[in-house]
Amino acid sequence: MDALFYTLVGIDLNWSSLPQQLVNGLVVGSIYALIALGYTMVYGVLRLINFAHGEVFMLGAYTALLSSWVMGFSPDAIRKFYESEAAKKLADPSYVERSIPADPFNLVIMILLAMAVCAVIGAVIEFFAYRPMRNQSRTAALITAIGVSLLLQYAGSLFLPASPPPSVAMEVNPYQTNVSVTLVPAPKEIRDKFDDSVSALEAAKESGADAETIGDLERKKNDLEGQVAATATAITMTQGKIVMLLTVLVLMAALRFLVLKTPAGRSMRAASHDFDSASLMGINVNRVVTFTFMLGSALAGAGAMMLVTFEGTSMQPFFGMAPGVKAFVAAVLGGIGNIPGAVLGGILMGLAETLVTWLGFSNYKDAVAFVILFIVLMFRPGGLLGSSKVEKV
Amino acid sequence: MIRNSLLQIGACAMALASLAWLGGCKDTAASGGDTKEPAASGGGATATGDVIKIGLVASQGGDLRPWGQDCIAGARLAEAEINAAGGIGGKKIQLIVEDSNSKPEEGKSAAEKLASEGVIGLVGEVASGITLQMKTVAMDRGLPLIAVGATNPDVTKDSNGLVSRVCYTDDVQGPVMAFFAYNDLKLRKVAIMTDNKQPYSQGLSASFAKRFKELGGEIVGEEFYQSGENQFGGQLTSIKSKNPDGIFMSGYFTEVGPMARQIRQQGMTNVKLMGGDGWDSTELTSSGGDAIVGGYFCNHYNNAEDRPEVQDFLKKFREANNGNDPGTTMAALGYDATMLMIDALKRMDAAKATMDSATLAKTISETVDFPGVSGKITLQGMNGDPEKRALVVQVTKTGQEFVKAYEPSEVVAK
Repeated sequence: MDALFYTLVGIDLNWSSLPQQLVNGLVVGSIYALIALGYTMVYGVLRLINFAHGEVFMLGAYTALLSSWVMGFSPDAIRKFYESEAAKKLADPSYVERSIPADPFNLVIMILLAMAVCAVIGAVIEFFAYRPMRNQSRTAALITAIGVSLLLQYAGSLFLPASPPPSVAMEVNPYQTNVSVTLVPAPKEIRDKFDDSVSALEAAKESGADAETIGDLERKKNDLEGQVAATATAITMTQGKIVMLLTVLVLMAALRFLVLKTPAGRSMRAASHDFDSASLMGINVNRVVTFTFMLGSALAGAGAMMLVTFEGTSMQPFFGMAPGVKAFVAAVLGGIGNIPGAVLGGILMGLAETLVTWLGFSNYKDAVAFVILFIVLMFRPGGLLGSSKVEKV
Repeated sequence: MIRNSLLQIGACAMALASLAWLGGCKDTAASGGDTKEPAASGGGATATGDVIKIGLVASQGGDLRPWGQDCIAGARLAEAEINAAGGIGGKKIQLIVEDSNSKPEEGKSAAEKLASEGVIGLVGEVASGITLQMKTVAMDRGLPLIAVGATNPDVTKDSNGLVSRVCYTDDVQGPVMAFFAYNDLKLRKVAIMTDNKQPYSQGLSASFAKRFKELGGEIVGEEFYQSGENQFGGQLTSIKSKNPDGIFMSGYFTEVGPMARQIRQQGMTNVKLMGGDGWDSTELTSSGGDAIVGGYFCNHYNNAEDRPEVQDFLKKFREANNGNDPGTTMAALGYDATMLMIDALKRMDAAKATMDSATLAKTISETVDFPGVSGKITLQGMNGDPEKRALVVQVTKTGQEFVKAYEPSEVVAK
């Protein structure tokens, strides 16, 4: 019955790739979550939707790019290396080592710089754009936020390297090796066939068969190798992605500690509970707001650096828009103003997108995320973890 | 309810902003579905005085700047060359350049500005979306238009013989890659990644798939993404489960590079990667790294070809540009487009014809075997689309390497 249903609607479920898809979704979602945290914290404290957050993310990506260039990974430097004598000596096809020695230390510098620069930019935006508007109507502050967003985009087009859209060189990243965990191996007959094809290829090579025969055998071997990979239930990811997920976890744990266990976090929670009373209780709310902006922006900076370094994304000044919109939706989905909600929303968005792709509808990937938002808001207007109680005015 | 109404405002504003983003993003090959077909009412311009003005529209800002700059450099070279040789019948050629800023609507106003400055004909653009807008101006004013790198088939359609181009169309490069994949790489099962925000990519994927199936190959799956997307894990895992021996990526290099990295990260190490001329950029190897090296794509010409036209052009280009090679093929195509127009003007001068736009359009459409840098161009009886040879090139760590050249007649189904 099920099979008939799936055939009718044209869905071809491939269960063996589901674990891999869940991991893909987690990776996508963790970046959304990092950005969504910035939206949610600012909203929690100021009831302001900081539209310039996507642009802070974009500037974080550019910081990572420019710092990698300074550290000797600029396109020119890399091209020069490959054209140099040293590279020609290494030109044999079996050479797989990275050309310019990649050092994890470079990545640490890049992520710290991206976080620091974003934190400063966040604080500056708050000081110059939002603070003067704080006692104005919220709509005015909202419009200011859109203005800052446009300003950063177009100023970026003037001053940042934008065309052709640059990207962080692969050479910077030392974590390129694939790690694979097989949950259920491929059916034995396919593995046997693959082993046979490998030995047939080797035998042909030894006996000095002509190039065409070897080519055919090689294609057969590659095809079976692909079949083994396609039918096995396995999770494959680069070390880079693992590093990325771990970093996200560490950052979130640090954020939780900051918010729950430190005096600064306590002031932040107090200000988000009741801004005016908090200031009457002797909390320096201006400092709390600056701190909130810095924290949120630093998280966006970290997310941006990891995305462009581990995924190779090319950037241009409008590059913050797409992740910004998605992360905003994630924050609303989880309940804007609620910190665990932002993480939950981000990860759900990532998983939803990948699972829709898994079902074979990559065409409607973006639409489905918004449909989910729509449904959730219909039943829980405050988001999944947010409170939907009416505020006192 | 303050909070909820605020949220609504926020959501509205975000929706607006994202609309602006969708619209503002590089819709370089935006379909020209709304190209009106006005009768060629304007009479064009007649060259008077001692200069003949040619208008060039190119992107000096925005996403397409690298192509725009190369295109201008190539066209300027053509201008300098003809003027050094004494011009046409004693008249100098004056090339007026206007900026389209990578946007179709600005391309249209640039073309209008050039028309009001009295140019005899228009050259440009690199992108199909902008060229389609220029076409409406050319048709209104009765000016001949030679497109530089616009490969969308609609560009030359129903243009009363006014619009022609010096590049091949997407109906050629798709089949070229299909033919190459099937016969040279001996691929049988290919998956496709299509950018469903770019009509260029959609058209190219369709023409590739059609020809590949005709040849006997199988398209095992097509997955979609949108320009600006960063992570393709979901689509690539789906493709992996179908075990293709090749992946055709018809989008632009901005997404193709990261996609190639992620294909290897998914463990698909033997899969061959292929694409169209959207890959042509010096940034491809920095975003794609080792993963894209060894991939194949279709291009208009290659600096390493030993045809005399190519080597002459390179020599002249280096002299004029501090010894630098052109970064993209658009320099050669810009040069070809301008030279083609100049060549037509020369023939008009030789025939003692009146130097006006209508005669120029007619003369351009009578071009036979023009020796372009990017190959021979014949426009007679072709409705503006020359039968251009297409090259398959391979990505190397430092650029691209020539693999094979195809004549359209070899690869397009009869």
